[in-house]
Amino acid sequence: MQLQSFDESYVERLQAGDFRTQEHFVAYFSELIQLKLRSRLNSPQAIEDVRQETFTRVFAALRGGKIRQPERLGAFVNSMCNNVLLEHYRASSRDSSLDDEEQQDFPAANVDVLGAIAAKQMGEKIREILEEMPERDRRLLREIFLEERDKDAVCSDFGVDREYLRVLLHRAKQSFKSLYLKNVAARPPGAVAVEKR
Amino acid sequence: MDHDEAVRQKATERYLLDELDPDLRDKFEEHLFDCQDCALDVRAAAMFVEQTKVILAEPPAVSVANVPAGAATAKPGWFAWLRPAFALPVLALLLAVIGYQNFVTYPSLVATANQPQVGTWISLNVSTRGTAANSVRVHRGEGFGVLANLPPQDGFASYTADLYNPAGKQEWSRQIATASQETRQIYISGHNLESGTYTLVVNGVTPGGESKELSRHPIDVQIQN
Repeated sequence: MQLQSFDESYVERLQAGDFRTQEHFVAYFSELIQLKLRSRLNSPQAIEDVRQETFTRVFAALRGGKIRQPERLGAFVNSMCNNVLLEHYRASSRDSSLDDEEQQDFPAANVDVLGAIAAKQMGEKIREILEEMPERDRRLLREIFLEERDKDAVCSDFGVDREYLRVLLHRAKQSFKSLYLKNVAARPPGAVAVEKR
Repeated sequence: MDHDEAVRQKATERYLLDELDPDLRDKFEEHLFDCQDCALDVRAAAMFVEQTKVILAEPPAVSVANVPAGAATAKPGWFAWLRPAFALPVLALLLAVIGYQNFVTYPSLVATANQPQVGTWISLNVSTRGTAANSVRVHRGEGFGVLANLPPQDGFASYTADLYNPAGKQEWSRQIATASQETRQIYISGHNLESGTYTLVVNGVTPGGESKELSRHPIDVQIQN
C-alpha cells in the first residue's frame, strides 16, 4: 500500500470515483478500523458489518460533498466509525441488525500474490527477530499474546514491570518496521495480504 | 493528542497492549486515523504481534539448545566413527603410515633384499643312518638351508621330508620330487624357529604310494640374539 497524503486532490479523486484511489482508501482504513474494533467487538462478523457500514456512509458523505476539511479525512472516517459503532451497540441491545440497511458497492480489500510473498518475507523477518531474543522474552511474549494471560501476573512471574513489556514490543517493532515499510510501499493500492492460519 | 505526545507516551505499544484507558484510547485513535506515521507504527506492530502468535504457537523445532538431556548421552553407534571429527584424524594417520612405509620401510627392505646374502647351510646324507647331530647357529628370525643327498636309483617315485620341533611336534611336511640330481635343497624358515634339537625325517614313497622312512637327522639349532 503506497503512502499517499490525504489532501484536496485525494478527496476529489474519491468523489470522482477513481478506482485506484478508492482501493487505496479502503485498504488503508480497513486495517485501522479492524484494529480499532477488535478491542470493542467480539465477533469478526460484527467487525465486518461495522467496517462496511462505515465505508458506506463515508462514500455517501463524499458524494454529498460533506467533507469540508480534506486533511482531516482520517479523523472523519474515525468519527463515522464511532457513530456506526454506537448504533451497532444500540441495535445489538434492541436485537436488531444493520443488515436491512442499504448496502453500496465499494472496493473490497483483496489478497494478491505479491502481497502474499511480502507477507512471507515479513513472517521470516519476525521469526528472525524472535530467534534473536533471549528465551525469557520469547516466553514473556508467548504468555501475553498467545496464552493471553493477565499482563500484571505475567510481569510479576517474570520479575519485570509493564514498562519492560512496552520497551520489548517497541524494540521488536523498530527491528521489523523498515522491512514492513518497504513491503507496504511496494504493494499496489488495495492489496492486503496478511498470512492467516 | 498530537504526534509527539503519542511517541512520548509509547501510545502505539500501549494501544496494542490494551493499556490505554477509554478516554486516552479515543484520543489516540482520533490522532491515529489522521497521522500516517502513527498508523504505520501501529500496523507494523500489529503485524508483529499477529505473526508472533502464529510462530510461537508452532511446535518447538529441535535445536542444539533444545536437545533433551538423554539424547546427548545416547550411544552413538558404529557410524559415528565416520563423522569428520573421527574420520579426518584417522585418515591423516593412515596417510602418514602409508607415506612412512613407501618412503622409508619399503626402500629399506628392497635395498636389503638386493644385497648379496651368505646363508647358513648344513649337508645331510639320507642314506646314512645314525649320524651325529648337525649343529647350526642362526640369528633370531633367520632360517637355514639343508642340502639333502638322496640315494641314487633306489626305486622310489618321490620323497617326503618332515620336520619335528624340539617338543617332538611335526612342524611341516614337504614332498620332494625325484630328479636326475641327487642333492636337494630344503630351506627351513626362521619363522618360529627356537633353540633346541629339531628332527628332519626323510621318507621314500614307492610308485604304489607306500611310504618308507629312510633316515632321521637331528639338527641342533642355536638361536643367537
